[in-house]
Amino acid sequence: MSEKTTEQVEFFRPDLFSTTPYPHLIAGHCRSCGKYTFPKYYACPACFSEDLEDTPLSPRGKLHSFTIVRRSLPDYPVPYALGLVDFPEGVRVMAQIETKNFEELRLGMDMEVTIGVVRKGKDGRDILSYKFRPVSS
Amino acid sequence: MRDVYILGVGTTACGKFPDKPAHILGREAAWAAIKDAGIHPRKIEMAFCGHVYQGMGVGQRTLKEIGLVGQPTVNVEGACGSGTLSFWEAWRSIAYGQCDIALALGVENLSRILSGGPLPLEEDDVEVAMGMSMPALYALRAKRYMEEYGVTPEQLAKVVVKSRRHAALNPIAQFRKEVTIEEVLNSPMIADPLTRTQCCPIGDAAAAVVLCSEDLVDKLATKKPVKVLGCVAQSGKYSDPQKLVCDPSENVTRTSKLAYEMAGLGPEDIDVAEIHDAFSIAEMLVYEALGFCEKGAGVRLIEEDRTSLGGDIVVNPSGGLLSRGHPVGATGLLQVAEIVWHLRGEAGARQVEGAKVGLIETMGGAQPAMDGITCVVSILGV
Repeated sequence: MSEKTTEQVEFFRPDLFSTTPYPHLIAGHCRSCGKYTFPKYYACPACFSEDLEDTPLSPRGKLHSFTIVRRSLPDYPVPYALGLVDFPEGVRVMAQIETKNFEELRLGMDMEVTIGVVRKGKDGRDILSYKFRPVSS
Repeated sequence: MRDVYILGVGTTACGKFPDKPAHILGREAAWAAIKDAGIHPRKIEMAFCGHVYQGMGVGQRTLKEIGLVGQPTVNVEGACGSGTLSFWEAWRSIAYGQCDIALALGVENLSRILSGGPLPLEEDDVEVAMGMSMPALYALRAKRYMEEYGVTPEQLAKVVVKSRRHAALNPIAQFRKEVTIEEVLNSPMIADPLTRTQCCPIGDAAAAVVLCSEDLVDKLATKKPVKVLGCVAQSGKYSDPQKLVCDPSENVTRTSKLAYEMAGLGPEDIDVAEIHDAFSIAEMLVYEALGFCEKGAGVRLIEEDRTSLGGDIVVNPSGGLLSRGHPVGATGLLQVAEIVWHLRGEAGARQVEGAKVGLIETMGGAQPAMDGITCVVSILGV
């Protein structure tokens, strides 16, 4: 699942995102019927085709809903914002939202993908993965 | 397909019982159900045991305590729907002729594994890895729902006020003290907008139901038999963000439609219901999914007290998951027992007068891009 890159940090599911040429998510795309999923499944949920490819998602989507999590599972430093973002390809993805000000969050606002710390690992190291942040105006 | 009847139900109290492992709670509930049915234990041909966190062979470990050994015993897991999934297994085993008498059991001891906080979830699940807990998931639904339909935090809190008022009349409920809207809103915030009292508690219990076929009911019944009019289990489907605007209820809608069809009834025929109010928001969403009202109108049923005791469609007279408690694997059968007590006229101070038809809805789990793991809807009648 995870891959060590340096002594200090660890990435969770590096197969699901890329930073080149800009931060974006990697979804599954069915070559047979065109359906997108995140993450990629083993067979297409719409047509059962196994002809699936990794494909970059648009870097931006719209905030469907969010919450500020104040009590959570162990290893997740609270509080943090958690959101659902709708991408133009028709997938809705859940991830944490990076913001210095929870008050700025609004349903429907434009969000972009970024990479950041999602939790602490068992050994205390930061675990990084995909996150969202409001598109700066 | 044969008709199936409920002969007996039994439960423990709900609460924190760290000294009573699941099999100890379970034996008490199973024995109580068999006594309530008034049959000899040896007549039970098959047993099903719903649980989530109780380990290998918990059904066999439980039933060994009361001499119920040898028969097929199947342990059933469907997240928070495990209890009613075991009920569905028992129902279909009789309905399709595999046996005449079956026991559905549900057991859970959470306080032995958790001191508090959200339920542990699968760490390999990408949403869980991103920081999703069950309260956070329902908070996301609540936030969207409140914005779309103009629902206030006070209205959400009123679900808990109703729940505690009902539970105050239920001797087996975990929380029996009434609360005010202010107290609900002032309890610690877990995930905005859900405060702690709007989240179901960690708790332990067991519940059991004895079912039999139409061929034996007249011979065996010692109390008023309750007929299973409909019983349907469904798994979640892929949710489609293009169609579903934060609608977590597709699974409940689909499952309840099938259950209504099987029963030949509709939402207007239901006198009393026990539904899966794991969080305050869930109650309103489920009203709509079950067809008790139009989409967006769930809040009005709460505002107008129509689902309170004395209302025209009483929901969660037991106090529901929020106040009776949510010992996950036992929950579905606690719900079944509550409805059976109402249909028999045995529900004491919280009795829904003249209840003839009751509905039970249980919803289990969460999966990325899917509408839950398991939903079971049953309709019972006398």
